Amino acid sequence: MTILGKAFAIVFYLVHAVSGESGYAQNGDLEDAESDADYSFSCYAQLEVDGSQHSLTCAFDDPDVNSTNLEFEICESLLLIDCLNFNKLPDEKYFIKTNKFLMIGKSNICVKLREEYLACKRVEIVHIVKPEAPFDLKVTYRPRANDFEVTFNTSHLQKKYVKQLMHDVAYCQEKDGNNWMHMNITNTRLTLPQRKLQSDAMYEIKVRSLPHSDYYKGFWSEWSPSYHFKTPETNSEEMNPVLLTISVTSFISVGLLVILACALWKKRIKAIVWPSLPDHKKTLEQLCKKPEKNFNASFNPESFLDCQIHKVDDIQSRDEMENFLQDTLSPPLEESEKHEPTRSIHGPNCPSQIPVTTSETLNRELSFGCPAGNVSACSGPMRPSFWAPDCREGVRSGSHVYQDLLLSPGTVDNTVLQPSPHQSGLLTLNSVVQGQPILTSLRQNQEEAYVTMSSFYKNQ
Amino acid sequence: MFHVSFRYIFGIPPLILVLLPVTSCNCHLKDKEGKEFENVILISIDELDKMLDIDSNCLKKELNYFKKHSCADKKEAAFLNRAAYKLEQFVKMNITEDFELHILKVSKGTLKVINCTKEETILKEPKKNDWCFLKTLLQKIKTCWNKILRGN
Repeated sequence: MTILGKAFAIVFYLVHAVSGESGYAQNGDLEDAESDADYSFSCYAQLEVDGSQHSLTCAFDDPDVNSTNLEFEICESLLLIDCLNFNKLPDEKYFIKTNKFLMIGKSNICVKLREEYLACKRVEIVHIVKPEAPFDLKVTYRPRANDFEVTFNTSHLQKKYVKQLMHDVAYCQEKDGNNWMHMNITNTRLTLPQRKLQSDAMYEIKVRSLPHSDYYKGFWSEWSPSYHFKTPETNSEEMNPVLLTISVTSFISVGLLVILACALWKKRIKAIVWPSLPDHKKTLEQLCKKPEKNFNASFNPESFLDCQIHKVDDIQSRDEMENFLQDTLSPPLEESEKHEPTRSIHGPNCPSQIPVTTSETLNRELSFGCPAGNVSACSGPMRPSFWAPDCREGVRSGSHVYQDLLLSPGTVDNTVLQPSPHQSGLLTLNSVVQGQPILTSLRQNQEEAYVTMSSFYKNQ
Repeated sequence: MFHVSFRYIFGIPPLILVLLPVTSCNCHLKDKEGKEFENVILISIDELDKMLDIDSNCLKKELNYFKKHSCADKKEAAFLNRAAYKLEQFVKMNITEDFELHILKVSKGTLKVINCTKEETILKEPKKNDWCFLKTLLQKIKTCWNKILRGN
């Protein structure tokens, strides 16, 4: 039993010792009570920060961590050496500056306490790149373009590895506080239109950078030093003098054009735009001589008192004409007698043949009794003297044509033509001038004697 | 006689088939996009080229090494693997730290992106300070990388 008891005691003692050394923690008894602390950390790298030297900075996420005796170490993906130890900075950060980063593949960053690794993290250096902050930020106002030119500089323009960056330009009105406007650009120049900013106001502007490539990735850089600028006062009444002059001149020109157009519209412009077509009647009136004002065309026999009227008693070459007319007019005359029995075309004493006259012969008739050289002075109707006085008005309808022939201005011929016996062929003139008794007989038979072309054509 | 011919027919060919993978070096590229080459390796090759201020006639010489080992089709990764090991031999020479670091970036960077089944053993070391050979080797590596990337 004694041996058994001793054995149990030894066993308990060993268990107690082993459990103590293995890290079993009791309150305040063991050194590694700090293992419960959170040693999570984050790092960022800055490439070519000093020539070909790169930097790597790590810090604990929990600021309350007791970093006494704690160290950082990086291994793998290094050149010429296997591992590198960090330097501890006063602000509880760990920093390393070297050119031995391979920049291909992953590295192992660990937190160690003496030789014990407390926390490790596998990272790619090219994925935790933090660019350097931009500098030389300036804002220039361009009055002609009415905009603000923003320019800045960055050290990465001369670097070999991290050259492609995205820049975040932020500006705000100073009185607004934190109402920042952001603009992302890839180059180092930006133009801000004046209309986007308030006039006569103070603005603050700053810029930061971010790696922008397929291979190098990371975090935003620190903000550049802010730049303050004031926007000019915009006067709406002010205008560009050249623009003002041009606008006034053009307005005056347009006004003058309108006034001239209204003034010269009827006189000149309208005739050109809408030319008037000549009126044929008026044109003819202008071409032809106007008759005298006192010209009176009348068929009143009393107006022909001054005219010598020669009664035609006989018609020469009557036989010849009769034969001629018989041949031409007899068939149509018979037909007209059939179709128009009411109208007696020929009287019993009328010659069966109606002589054909032309306007020329009628003009000559008119000129016979008219004063020489003044045919227009003739007045009163002219009975065609080649008819027998007791000829019926069967040819009354023909008087219309006769009147037309008399009235048509083309038939008025001022020249007095002497009748030629050959041409007339139709009448023999009685040289005895009849006086008033002739006129009365004329009046009685004027209706009967009128032959119109229309009745003549009808008879045909 | 019959057992002798039986040995040659059925013994040697399988032996050859088994030994073939051992003798050949099977290599392939891990990242065929070539980001590591464009952003790191190529920068170091260009920096080394600037540092090696050598007459351009050097590149016209046809060295025996490159007659034996070339960037042949389907053997580009194997050539790069061999060239990377060859480059490391120049590190031992008396050169500046920046020069040394750039050579290591090219060689170790290439070995990082190429995966070979067998490690290359370089028996013959280059002549001391044979900068013409180094310049030619760097140009061959650059050309072979471009060939791989163009083919993708």
